[in-house]
Amino acid sequence: MKFSRKTLGIPYIIFLLIFVVAPLLVLFYYAFTNGQGQFTFRNLTGFFTDPNTVGTLFYSLAIALVTTAVCLLIAYPVAYVLATSGLKSKGVIIMIFVLPMWINFSLRITALKEILTLIEGNLAFYPFLNSVIGMTYDFLPFMILPIYNTIVKLDGSLTEAARDLGADEKRAFLHVTLPLSLPGIISGVSMVFLPAMTNYVVLDMLYNSTYIMGSLIGSYFSAYNWHGGSMIALILLAIICVFTLVTNGMEEEDARAGGALL
Amino acid sequence: MKKNGSAPAFVKALRRIFALALAMILACLLLSKEGFLSVPASAAEDEIVLRVCSWEEYIDLGEWEEDEVIDLESGDIIGVNPMVEDFEAWFEEVYGRKVRVEYSTFGTNEDLYNMLTIGDVYDLVCPSEYMIMKLMAEDRVQPLSEAFFDTDNEYNYYINGVSPYIRNIFETHDIHGVSWDKCAAGYMWGVTGFVYNPEVLTEEEASTFRLMENRDYYRQITVKDNVRDTYFEALGALKAELLTSEEFRQDPDYAVKLQEEMNDVSQETIDRVQDYLQAVKDNLYSFETDSGKADMITGKVVANYQWSGDAVYTMDQAEEDDYYLNFAVPEECTNIYFDGWVMLKNGIAEDPAKQQAAEAFINFLSRPDNVVRNMYYIGYTSVISGNEDERVFEYLDWCYGAEEDEEETVEYPLGYFFDAEGDDTDYTLTVPEEQLHRQLLAQYPTGEVIDRASIMEYFDQEKSEVINRMWIRVRCFNIKNVPVPVWIALGAVIAAGIVWAVIRKRNRA
Repeated sequence: MKFSRKTLGIPYIIFLLIFVVAPLLVLFYYAFTNGQGQFTFRNLTGFFTDPNTVGTLFYSLAIALVTTAVCLLIAYPVAYVLATSGLKSKGVIIMIFVLPMWINFSLRITALKEILTLIEGNLAFYPFLNSVIGMTYDFLPFMILPIYNTIVKLDGSLTEAARDLGADEKRAFLHVTLPLSLPGIISGVSMVFLPAMTNYVVLDMLYNSTYIMGSLIGSYFSAYNWHGGSMIALILLAIICVFTLVTNGMEEEDARAGGALL
Repeated sequence: MKKNGSAPAFVKALRRIFALALAMILACLLLSKEGFLSVPASAAEDEIVLRVCSWEEYIDLGEWEEDEVIDLESGDIIGVNPMVEDFEAWFEEVYGRKVRVEYSTFGTNEDLYNMLTIGDVYDLVCPSEYMIMKLMAEDRVQPLSEAFFDTDNEYNYYINGVSPYIRNIFETHDIHGVSWDKCAAGYMWGVTGFVYNPEVLTEEEASTFRLMENRDYYRQITVKDNVRDTYFEALGALKAELLTSEEFRQDPDYAVKLQEEMNDVSQETIDRVQDYLQAVKDNLYSFETDSGKADMITGKVVANYQWSGDAVYTMDQAEEDDYYLNFAVPEECTNIYFDGWVMLKNGIAEDPAKQQAAEAFINFLSRPDNVVRNMYYIGYTSVISGNEDERVFEYLDWCYGAEEDEEETVEYPLGYFFDAEGDDTDYTLTVPEEQLHRQLLAQYPTGEVIDRASIMEYFDQEKSEVINRMWIRVRCFNIKNVPVPVWIALGAVIAAGIVWAVIRKRNRA
């Protein structure tokens, strides 16, 4: 058997074909057919003409946007302070941030439920707020880690040069550190934003009875409407694709801008 | 290094590992499909494999503590081994053939249906009555054999032990002219009602579907996240006045009319249900999938719409913390439900041995001592009364019967369930008065509750779709509800983003 480096990729290709490509094809088939197996666009047009399904998309986006913003606001300062401080045991502190991820997810949310009940009294009064808190709690480490990793690898001499050339601390941060840490922010955002649109378990467990995209797909499937459910999954996929394309574009542009900066 | 000659040692090693791994994976794939899994089966050629699929936590798994023994007059009952293992041993002893049960579980009726659609094959499944009706209507169910109904066979525990009340329901309800009892054997049954905290709510407040709209308990009540149950509740609340009116109650065709009203799926009613649910959604704590029981016990909510078996479980758990919850059945009516065993045609595949094993499984679960074990373990109510065998009734007395020195006791007649003539004389329990609102009421409702019980039929494809769409509309966030300031803010953010991008681009250029 002729053996080359490419052969090493075969296991992954097999994996990809069975578990990624094939299900995607099934998804496409169901999304564009009706119960009789005929080709149709009705699932697509149906989604965008029903104020309830469009509303669900809106609501999911709102939850995801707010969650991402909150995560970013909390994570960036932490990552920045940690990365630029002279602490020796940074690794330990980072581990503390990651520690919650080692505990089972539903256990964590159950604990959060009890804590929130203590604070708020009746959870049902603040469903949107609770969902955002739950998601933030769940996804925060995914935001901290990439930002921290980018900042910690930044060349300190760049900020020094900016300071030498007369920039004050604020200017140096805004014009050097922040733009250069953008790749970390982007990967953090994409790791938080997309799951936050579909992670309905958090909503269920924290008593938010409004559907988001994930639960909507589930409800279509339990009503045996695999076609409508597949279409919604596909729409989500399209949103993710657009999102990834845009952020990649931004990253490339910034890489060029960063090069110009140097 | 030569181009086509010997590669470095580590690459060689890598190659070997890789080839080996590939070979192993291939071997496993081949074996698992054809030979690997069937090796033990072919070793015991005449072993029957019975694929059973039932609800999660719906059968005794054994391993009881010593002090859990149920000491009835006619003997002790204790679950040592899992019920399924006991069946395998029993079957071999009685029928002289080995059987192996592959027991799997499902979470909801809809999950089960989806599993069957995807192509999972089972011999015996235990869905609820409406799913049984759906499966029967789709001609997927293998009818029970004549031998199953032979009352002379002492091992036919089901037909000899099923409650006359349940038997009558199964014989008088049909789908496309085939009565239920031809195809389905009951397992557990119950009614629906509210578990509530008696220190907060009065019994009167909890005894109506309109509790959902009671503003005094704003966001303190949960109901099930389930289209059928919520539809039923909404119907009960919307028709409360009619259902409780004397005239309707006294109607000679009350039972028939009640069932008609509670299965009303006209478009007008569906629309009204939607409006009602959208309105009460705001008043509710949430639609819960599985958290209702725990939330009642921890006191997060003050009332929760439950299936009676879960209600029993909730009250039992609360009592362990010295916290007492009550159960109330809505005065309008209640949903009586059944879970039953049906054999599937594509699983049984006209194999008489397999069908015999499946029917034996039903019979084994219907043996009174096993009935008691399952009831004790899961808290639901078996369809088996035992008839000649008194152990089920003894168990009830063991659970709920009043102590001799108890002062406040009441008579609790259960003739409708245990006696063929509906005669209460032999089947009346003397119980502490509190049991009129507690576990006993949930587990064995009074005859009065049974009178206002209605079955919820299955809706045909077309109606199901309409009702499911209604339910999704209730649960979704309507885009029209977005407040105007949010639209303005959103517009401002987008505009700012575009302006920023344009300025940036210009500056770069």
